[in-house]
Amino acid sequence: MTMVTQQASSNYYNLGILDSITDDSIEDILDSWTGFCNTTESLLKDKGDLSVGSEFISHVHILCENRLSSLVQDHFFKALEETFEKNGRSKFWHHFDDFRDVSISELNESHKDWVQQVLCKALEDICLEKQYQEKCLLILVHALQSYKEGISKGKYNSDAERVALFSRYRLMVSSVLMTTLPRHFPEILRFYFKERLEELSDMISGNSDDNDEFQAKDNMDIDERTKLSPEVSEMDIGETYNGRKISENNKLVKNIGKVVRDLRSLGFMSMAEDAYASAIFLLLKTKVNDLAGDDYRTSVLWSIKEWIWAVPLQFLYALLAYLGDSVSYDSPSSGLKSPLASHPTSYYPGIDIPSEGLVRWQLRLEYFAYETLQDLRIAKLFEIIVDYPDSSPAIDDLKKCLQYSGQHSKLVDSFISSLRYRLLTAGASTNDILHQYVSTIKALRIIDPTGVFLEAVGEPIRDYLKGRKDTMKCIVTMLTDGPGGNPNGPGNTGDSLLEELNRDEENQEDDVCDDDFNSDDRHAWMNAERWEPDPVEADPLKGSRNRRKFDILGMIVGVIGSKEQLVNEYRVMLAEKLLNKSDYDIDSEIRTLELLKIHFGESSMQKCEIMLNDLINSKRINTNIKASISDVSQKGSDLGETGVSLDLLDATIISSNFWPPVQDESINIPETVDQLLSDYAKRFYEIKTPRKLLWKKNLGTVKLELQFGDRAAQFTVTPVHAAIIMNFQDQTRWISKDLAAAIGVPVDVLNRRINFWISKGIIAESVGAESDNHMFDLVDAMVDSSRNGVNNASCEDLAADEEGETSVASLEEQLLQEMTVYEKYIMGMLTNFGSMSLDRIHNTLKMFCSADPVYDKSLQQLQSFLSGLLSEEKLELRDGMYYLKREYSYLSLRSYHCPHLKFNKVVQSTYLIGNIDETSGYGNDSFVLTHYLCLMP
Amino acid sequence: MHHFVFIYLSPYCRWHAVASWTWDAQDETCGICRMAFDGCCPECKLPGDDCPLIWGACNHAFHLHCILKWVNSQTPQAHCPMCRREWQYKG
Repeated sequence: MTMVTQQASSNYYNLGILDSITDDSIEDILDSWTGFCNTTESLLKDKGDLSVGSEFISHVHILCENRLSSLVQDHFFKALEETFEKNGRSKFWHHFDDFRDVSISELNESHKDWVQQVLCKALEDICLEKQYQEKCLLILVHALQSYKEGISKGKYNSDAERVALFSRYRLMVSSVLMTTLPRHFPEILRFYFKERLEELSDMISGNSDDNDEFQAKDNMDIDERTKLSPEVSEMDIGETYNGRKISENNKLVKNIGKVVRDLRSLGFMSMAEDAYASAIFLLLKTKVNDLAGDDYRTSVLWSIKEWIWAVPLQFLYALLAYLGDSVSYDSPSSGLKSPLASHPTSYYPGIDIPSEGLVRWQLRLEYFAYETLQDLRIAKLFEIIVDYPDSSPAIDDLKKCLQYSGQHSKLVDSFISSLRYRLLTAGASTNDILHQYVSTIKALRIIDPTGVFLEAVGEPIRDYLKGRKDTMKCIVTMLTDGPGGNPNGPGNTGDSLLEELNRDEENQEDDVCDDDFNSDDRHAWMNAERWEPDPVEADPLKGSRNRRKFDILGMIVGVIGSKEQLVNEYRVMLAEKLLNKSDYDIDSEIRTLELLKIHFGESSMQKCEIMLNDLINSKRINTNIKASISDVSQKGSDLGETGVSLDLLDATIISSNFWPPVQDESINIPETVDQLLSDYAKRFYEIKTPRKLLWKKNLGTVKLELQFGDRAAQFTVTPVHAAIIMNFQDQTRWISKDLAAAIGVPVDVLNRRINFWISKGIIAESVGAESDNHMFDLVDAMVDSSRNGVNNASCEDLAADEEGETSVASLEEQLLQEMTVYEKYIMGMLTNFGSMSLDRIHNTLKMFCSADPVYDKSLQQLQSFLSGLLSEEKLELRDGMYYLKREYSYLSLRSYHCPHLKFNKVVQSTYLIGNIDETSGYGNDSFVLTHYLCLMP
Repeated sequence: MHHFVFIYLSPYCRWHAVASWTWDAQDETCGICRMAFDGCCPECKLPGDDCPLIWGACNHAFHLHCILKWVNSQTPQAHCPMCRREWQYKG
């Protein structure tokens, strides 16, 4: 009784109403309450007896009349909950008890059917129970409704109450299940969906092989679907190829759909969605991995997309349609549309009007696919760039992925680390690094036209290359000679980088051409329209995109430091090449020079041009001189006693001021040739007065033929080699000392040079009476003629190349020569200051050597010079400080006793070295001082 | 015993030598432009025939272009920039 009154008061807060309750009515209420409880019991519990329905309704009516409807509802729900706990929940979870001990990793093929059966059975059972309870709930709803209709004469709108009650019931069901959820249940779901989806995808891919068989459409499910969602029937899914495939699989989809629907009705909506989403993503990931593989020559993005449309999207479409979700989304909101979604007709084969849910799914799937592919490609970017021109499809893919995901920085980090690990190591040749660098530039230019990321990636390569000695040489070779093609050949097989750059440039110029004809305003306007902001990753310190143009040559020059250095290196190489030419054919060099002029400007290539011009002039002069000879010889004046004519001699005449310093060693060449040279010089003087020739006798090339009895061997050698072998003409045995004197070179040079002939088997070496004097004999007959290539008429060896001897002083040698001037300064400085850091030496030199000779070297040049002094043991380096060595440091030690000399810093360190003998005879300060003063510069 | 023969007259044989040219002058540099004689005057790009030397009666040599400019700027009578003697081209 108290409970009833409390209930009533809490509902209405009208205590007056209690007065109107009579004893009779209390009696009625109690009777009906008992009846209501009993009928509820029999409705819900046990087997369920619907026959008590009418009795139940009348009890409800009476209780409602007494304003106890909420009590009725509460009690009914309590009873429902208890029943559900007993009949539904515990049975449902009991089904899955077997999986409790099986972890998800152990679930495999064999569990597939088992899981499916158990899950379906469990869902079926619990849904039956739930349906029955809903029926009972409906009876209650009817009872309440009919009572209220009685009061309000049929005007009462019942829907609100019904919806409220049913949602309360659903909440009850899901909370009961959720609170008792076993931990392994989500995993079981995931496994189930994974297996189902794989089955589906297998079916689709299997079907696609022979899709003619699927002309017969299976529309048995269309009707059912129409019931669930009227909009779906408007979608023409049966007509297209993809739609046909999925309708073929409808049974499977239906099964899955049923499971999803059951799960949803139990309140597992988000869990089910999670499960099938993760299954789809897993499947997608495997698919992407399969498709992408290690083949970079084909674009896989399109096939991945196709697969997404063909399998997961079709599945989702069917599933959503089955679940009737598409009804709830009336129109896809425009804000959701990605560029991909803006063309629904082309992007949804077989699905004319995509629902918003499907668009969402598509975007999610595609993003995931892009990201997966991008990660795959980024991990392999190094290999992709190695294969660059062939792998451009993969690079295009990556570009699109990155446009979508915007994770460029990931690319930069991963690529830099693989560069450091695989390219920038001592084992990689400079050429390889350079080629990879160029490929990287080209590839990243495609991926990121703004060049921001290239900047980041290029930096470690550039820094590394700067540390390599042969970088400059390799760059110049790469620029001018191409990747291993024969640069002198008429049909250039491998184009040089320069040619390629030029081609690119011409193409670009063609593109811009149209704009140039337009007015400036229009041009400016078009530029303005094309403007895009820099990516957020751009370093604001590095200037705007205008300065970051893709100038491959510029980036390569950036490695070297300055264009002047590159030009100098090229000049040295050109000189070497030209001096070793035995004809005057310089067409390819002229072409290269023209290309270089385009890029570096005419003035910086001036000297190279003069060098080429020298060759052209030499050819002309050579012809003129020959012509004048033939005039003379027609007059029959002289042909020389030797019978050797000037026809034998060609000359390259250089303007030495414009060439890099050439190696000028004097040698004695054979009398006859020497005679020819002076004849030639005389003619030159006659023709070109007042200019005269100075021969560089050690330079040039000699083609000669040696005849042994009936065999002849031909060689192309340097003049020194020719001089050596020609001395054997009259005397077949030489002692090295004599031969060196005859040729006019030091003995060690001779020994080195003669190795060429020894290796050819023409001269034999034997140790003479004195150990330092070798005997050289002409081999009587070339024994193994085939090995020595005697029969091979074109046995051409440029011995100079073999021994690494060059005609032109390398840049390093030039530098050394120039730096020697400063040696005295440096020694003097170190004597004064004791120890100095590299920077300080550099700055001091800059400060004091402003007059002739001006100090204009870089810090690196100074460092390499100082390291030369270190190896000559003139200096020593400790903790980044340079010291004088030997007696100089001894002076420093003694100065400890005369502190005014400010040598203190050095004292300790030299002392540690222990190269000073305190007891030696130098131990007086006056000696030290005089020496010190002598050393002052 | 076979002796080998170095064949001068074989068509294959050639001696390709290298030489540098120089002006047969006493000085190294032009007294006007201070550039090397073997180089060229500041106006020229190619040395040698394109930028020849010329000697005066006083035996001083200059780049032709340099001395021409000098002579044309000196009126009425030009003098050698080195020795101040009257400038006359050496015959």
